[in-house]
Amino acid sequence: MERIILDVDSAGDDILAVLFAAASPHVKLEAVTTVTGAAGSIEQVTNVVLNTLSLAGRDDIPVHAGAWRPIVGHAKADMEAPVHFEKRLTARFGDRLKKFNPPAPAPTRKATPGHAVDFIIDTVMSNPGEITLVTTGPLTNAAMALLQEPRLAGALKRLLVLGGTFQTPGNMTPVTEYNIWADPEASRIVLNAEVDKILVPLDICEDNRVATSMMTRDDIADMQAVAKNNPVVDMIADVFPIYVDIWREFFGLVGFPLDDVITVALAFDPGLATLTEPLFVDVLIDGHVARGQTVAYRGFQILPGGGPKTTRIGTDLDGRRFLKIFKDTLARYERTI
Amino acid sequence: MTPTPILFDCDPGHDDAIALVMAHRSPAVELLGVTTTCGNAEIEKTTANALRILEYIGAGSVPVAAGCHRPLARPLVLGTADGPSGLEGSPYLPQATIRPVKQHAVDFLAEKLLSRAEPTVVVATGPLCNIGLLLLKHPHVLPKIKQLIWMGGVFYRKSEIITPTEFNAFCDPEALRIVLDSGVPITMVGLDVTMQVLVEEPQYAELARIDTPLGKLVNDWLLFYEKLHRNSMGVGGAMHDPLALALVIDPTLVRTRPAHIGVDLGGSYTFGATVADFWGERGLKDNALIANEVDSDRFFKLMFDLLRD
Repeated sequence: MERIILDVDSAGDDILAVLFAAASPHVKLEAVTTVTGAAGSIEQVTNVVLNTLSLAGRDDIPVHAGAWRPIVGHAKADMEAPVHFEKRLTARFGDRLKKFNPPAPAPTRKATPGHAVDFIIDTVMSNPGEITLVTTGPLTNAAMALLQEPRLAGALKRLLVLGGTFQTPGNMTPVTEYNIWADPEASRIVLNAEVDKILVPLDICEDNRVATSMMTRDDIADMQAVAKNNPVVDMIADVFPIYVDIWREFFGLVGFPLDDVITVALAFDPGLATLTEPLFVDVLIDGHVARGQTVAYRGFQILPGGGPKTTRIGTDLDGRRFLKIFKDTLARYERTI
Repeated sequence: MTPTPILFDCDPGHDDAIALVMAHRSPAVELLGVTTTCGNAEIEKTTANALRILEYIGAGSVPVAAGCHRPLARPLVLGTADGPSGLEGSPYLPQATIRPVKQHAVDFLAEKLLSRAEPTVVVATGPLCNIGLLLLKHPHVLPKIKQLIWMGGVFYRKSEIITPTEFNAFCDPEALRIVLDSGVPITMVGLDVTMQVLVEEPQYAELARIDTPLGKLVNDWLLFYEKLHRNSMGVGGAMHDPLALALVIDPTLVRTRPAHIGVDLGGSYTFGATVADFWGERGLKDNALIANEVDSDRFFKLMFDLLRD
C-alpha cells in the first residue's frame, strides 16, 4: 500500500481522485490537504473534500486546509477567468450546469485543525522515505512546505504532480496548464526540488491520443451496472454527465479527462505511464503568455543550463488499463462505515 | 511610560545587531521575541548571530525562532556588507549557549500575534521572507499586526550614494509583494532616510567615549561594516536597521508620506525596485507610509544614549 497525502483544489476530477484514493486497496490515504485553485476559495475547496469523503464513508481521513492564495499569482481578472468561463458554459447548458462545481453545502464535519503545510511537514518528517505527496491542484502548499522545511525534499518518498504541458496545447494559454499557471513561483520551487518526481502533463490526460483514458457516459453506465447500493457511483451518475458533455463540446475531447485520478493511480502503479528518464524541469516565470510554461531539459543545447535531474515526465498512458482500474475501484467500492 | 511590545524579524547583520542591542536596552521597547531570516547571511548564521548577541547583552530569555532559509521564489543572494559570518569584526563574541525555539519563525510569529489581546508592532530589518510566508500561511494574523516597520525600499534617490534597488527588497521581492498586497499597515524605512544616518568621524568620536565592552563591540562591528560603503561610495556605515527600530521609540525621527507602493518582479536591472505612485495616477489605494526625511542628529543621540550605561 502506498502511503499518500493527496493535495487537491477540488475541481471535478479532484473529487473523483479523492474518491478513488479513498477507495483504492492500493492506497493508504494519510490525509487530503486543500489548496486554493480552480474550484474557488479555500473554504469551498475544503468543504467539497469534506462532503466527498463523507459520501464515501471516510470521515476518518483527516482534511487539512491549506493556502488561500498563490505566492504571486496573476492579475485579478486573469485569476478570475475560470469563473467567466463558467458563465459561457451556463449560456450553453442552462440549468444542467447547476451540477458543475456548485457551492458546497455545509459539511457534516469540520476540517482537521492544523495547516496543510504543517501536516505535510510533520507526517513526512516523522516517516522519512515513506510518504508520497500527490498534488492535483496548484503547488502552493507543496512549495510552502519545501520553503518552511528544507529537509522535506530528502524525506519524501516521491512527489506526483499533475501539471504542465509539453506537446498538447495548454488550457490557460497555448503553452500553460492551469495548475502550474496558477502559481508559477510555487511550481518552480517544487519542480526544481531534489526529490524523485513524476510529472503528469496534459499530454497524457487532456489529449485525444489518450482517449481511452477518458470517462464517457457509457463508462458511467458500466459502473452503475456493476454497483450495488453504492452512493459514490450514484453521485457520479448524477453529477458527471454534464462534465462529460462540457469536455466533449468545449474542449473537443472524447470524454471527461481524469487527470487527477491518473495522477493518483500513477502513485501506486507507475507502469501505467511511459515515463522519460529523470530530467530537470523548470517553469518560466517572466513573460505573459508563457508565464507558467513547463520546460524540460532534454536533448543537447549550446547554452548551459539546468538543475537537478529528478523529474520523470509522463509521455504516454495505458488508458484502457487505467480506466478499468478506475471503474472497478469505484464500482466495487463498499462503504464500510 | 508603558513600553511598546514588539516582535523583531531580522538577519543579523551588524546593523541588525545594533538594533537588537537598542531594542533590548530601551525602556520604551518590550522585546517579545526575535525571528531570523536569511539575507545578510545564511539562516544558520543569522540565527546563531541573533542568539550570540542576545545572550551577550543579557537578553538570553528572549525567545528566538529561526525562519526562512531562502527567499520565497528566488535563489538566495547574500548581502555583502557583513562578511562571511554575517557578523565579522568581533571574533571574541562567544557562540551562544541558548538555543532557538523549535517552532518555525512564521508559526512563532502567528502564535505570538494571536495570543495577544491587542495588535502588536512588528519590526522587520531583513528580506521579508518570514513576513510573506506568515501572511500566506496564517492570513488571519493580519488584524493582529498593529504596524509593520520595515527597513527596506528606496523611492527618491536624491543622491548618488543611493542605489536604485535596496537589498531587502531585491532579495525577496515576491515576499514584499505579498506584504504590500495584504493591507498590513507598513512604514517603509528605506535608503532615502537610512543613507542619511551615516557613522562618520563625529559618531566614531562619540562611540569612543563609551568606554565599556559593549562600546568596543559596537565599534568593532562598525569598523568592519563600513568597509563596503567606504570602499565603494566613500561614506561610513549606514544605520539602516537601527533607524527602523528607533521609530518604535520615537516615530518623530522621520517624516512619512503615504503612497501606493508596487514592487517590480520582472525587469533585468530593476527587479526588487519599489515604485511609489505619489499622485494616485493608477487609482489605487495608498498601502504604505514612506519615510522621506530624517533627523539624523536626534537619531544618533538616541542610539548613543542607549549604548551608554
